[in-house]
Amino acid sequence: MSATLIKCFNLAKAVGTGAFRNALATSHSQVAAWSPATVGSLLKCGIHSNVPLQNEKLMEFFDDPKHWSETEVKVGRAWRTDELRIKSNKELHQLWYILLKERNMLFTMEHECNDKMEVFPNPERIDKIKISMENLETVVRERNKAYHLLETGETGERPQKQIHNAFGLRCNYKTIEHVLPPFMNTKWIKAQHNTYGGRAVHKFLLHYREKLYNVKRKAKNRSRNEVMMTLRRNPNIDLQMLKRKYPDVDIDKLLSQDKTRGHYVTKVDA
Amino acid sequence: MRITQFLASKLKNFSNLPKEYIERSKKQVYWQTPKEANYLPRTVERKRYRYTTNRSWTGHFRQQNMPGTSRRKVFVEPIEDWSFFRGDRIEVLVGKDKGKQGIVTQVIPERNWVIVEGINWHYRRVGAEKEFPGIIIKSESPLNVTKDIRLVDPSDLQGTDFEWRFTEEGEKVRVSMRSGRIIPIPETNNQTYDYKTPNAYIEREKDTTAAVVGEITFQPKLATFEMDIMEEMGIKEERTPAKSYWY
Repeated sequence: MSATLIKCFNLAKAVGTGAFRNALATSHSQVAAWSPATVGSLLKCGIHSNVPLQNEKLMEFFDDPKHWSETEVKVGRAWRTDELRIKSNKELHQLWYILLKERNMLFTMEHECNDKMEVFPNPERIDKIKISMENLETVVRERNKAYHLLETGETGERPQKQIHNAFGLRCNYKTIEHVLPPFMNTKWIKAQHNTYGGRAVHKFLLHYREKLYNVKRKAKNRSRNEVMMTLRRNPNIDLQMLKRKYPDVDIDKLLSQDKTRGHYVTKVDA
Repeated sequence: MRITQFLASKLKNFSNLPKEYIERSKKQVYWQTPKEANYLPRTVERKRYRYTTNRSWTGHFRQQNMPGTSRRKVFVEPIEDWSFFRGDRIEVLVGKDKGKQGIVTQVIPERNWVIVEGINWHYRRVGAEKEFPGIIIKSESPLNVTKDIRLVDPSDLQGTDFEWRFTEEGEKVRVSMRSGRIIPIPETNNQTYDYKTPNAYIEREKDTTAAVVGEITFQPKLATFEMDIMEEMGIKEERTPAKSYWY
């Protein structure tokens, strides 16, 4: 337990220090032409360069005080996967914690703004951070998958499979790591519900499938009504386009019906 | 809208907001089952919204779609290729400004609407109170793209019908049916709330500079992400994990 703690502590110390900030600082001088590739929320962590006091550390959960009264805090867009793919593991690691800190800060500010009945400026920043973090994780997983496929022929991801649960419904089963092989693990074997059966389950499945069928049937009716109303309102609409949009609806049949005719007198060109 | 159509659409997102935010901001969840094993994932939420000239992430939109209220469905004619962009010169076919030409200032594809500068306007009184009569402002009403307007041919500045065609380079363009001239998509279409052109974007405090973003620091190495980071930090792991079974 203590070893993990020490590891975590080392990790926390290492992140947010030196390297990435230096990389940012040096590149400032190189900036010549501006391209659209400005990316949200990266410089933030560079503000506290010295060893912060206890109070200052807490204040990292809050935005820079000069942004407090502002109605708009503009930032660029989120990081894209293509941009993250060209970054080294170390930089991705640093960027992850920069994004994490920024996200914590944004959540704190949002909560505080709601508390104080003030407007939280640019809430889309939270989504930009989320997108960036998702993209970063995708890139890291790609790299790990590549390594494992090369070395072991497997992806190295947690294995998953589709099984039927006790109610006969398909569900995703995320496998768990065990010390014992499955045939020796009697406790696990007893707890398994991979099969299903019995009168009650079959009755349930019958009703469940009827429900699913009804959903499908209603969707079909809905799209037919939609087409009917569209035809009634727009007599000159492009039928080919409508057929492409609603492939399940028999439009030629609908056209012969009274319901598709509008409540107006058709104009006759002289 | 199918994904291919969405990719093919040349209409740019003026607000420059991420799609996730736009979806999240208009969402009205009335009931959601707890994330427990004994609940199936079910959500009761608002499905139909009334789109107006107020954009869906604003407070006005929420006021017009208050939770628990419902308004009559608006039937919007489906359109395959969106053809009217910000900055387009169009001719009005209906209403008191029939025959006039104007420049499109705003596009609202949810309702097949465009708002045209100085066309189809009316006076609106705002801020009226008991003591104060309010002030009168001029505001433009939207026009329907399928029925109320048509594009203007740039060669003779007359209204014309048009068609989407492909050039020999494979680019999709609008072509005037009368003169056969290409009606170019205006540069204004690419403008966003944040910048007029990508090159004119002003660097902010929180942005990473383009040079840093473009820097290539990745070097291929036979190691996982974790192994690489551990090596970087000098963490040595010599224990071999015991045999385990995934099932």
